[in-house]
Amino acid sequence: MQNEVRQLRTAMGLSQQDLGEAMDVSRQTINSIEKERYTPSLPLAMALARYFGRTVEEVFHANGRE
Amino acid sequence: MQMAASKPFYRSRWWLPAFSVVLGLLMLGAFWIGGDVGSGFAALGVMVAVGALFLFGGRSETLRGLGGPGRDERWAMIDIHATALAGMVLIAAIIGAFLVEIASGGDGSPYGQFAAVGGIAYILFVAILRARS
Repeated sequence: MQNEVRQLRTAMGLSQQDLGEAMDVSRQTINSIEKERYTPSLPLAMALARYFGRTVEEVFHANGRE
Repeated sequence: MQMAASKPFYRSRWWLPAFSVVLGLLMLGAFWIGGDVGSGFAALGVMVAVGALFLFGGRSETLRGLGGPGRDERWAMIDIHATALAGMVLIAAIIGAFLVEIASGGDGSPYGQFAAVGGIAYILFVAILRARS
């Protein structure tokens, strides 16, 4: 799933480790989300969006399912 | 949500090492009862080594995930898929062994029973999970 996590994270000056600790997931999970290899669960997607002060739709883009 | 106040026991770094040692002790007890204490201590040594590997395995994501501390929702998905694949390999091996046993003139034991346990357990859990979803 395409997403803006990397852009939003770097704009806040956070490392993947920082964001992973904030979300209670591993650094590798944040990396997998950013590389679009792993689609986060709805609760994690909502937590990420809330953390960035955005809506889920602004952070994640469901290809072909809009 | 992700940010839980306390982590479940299986995310403790001590969970798998402790489980490994307990399993090793059970194996030692079983070998002891069977009259082969030497093999029991060898099995315990292997299980203690496995536990130490997970406890002192460093920053490897695989070891941290298998060991507990690195488990998160992505790891849960990996765990489910890996368990399903391992289960399919195990079922294929049991069916193969069952067929070889029958072709060798046997009655298929104990592989037929193992296959029955696997098949019944699968159907049972499908029904339970369907009802709960």
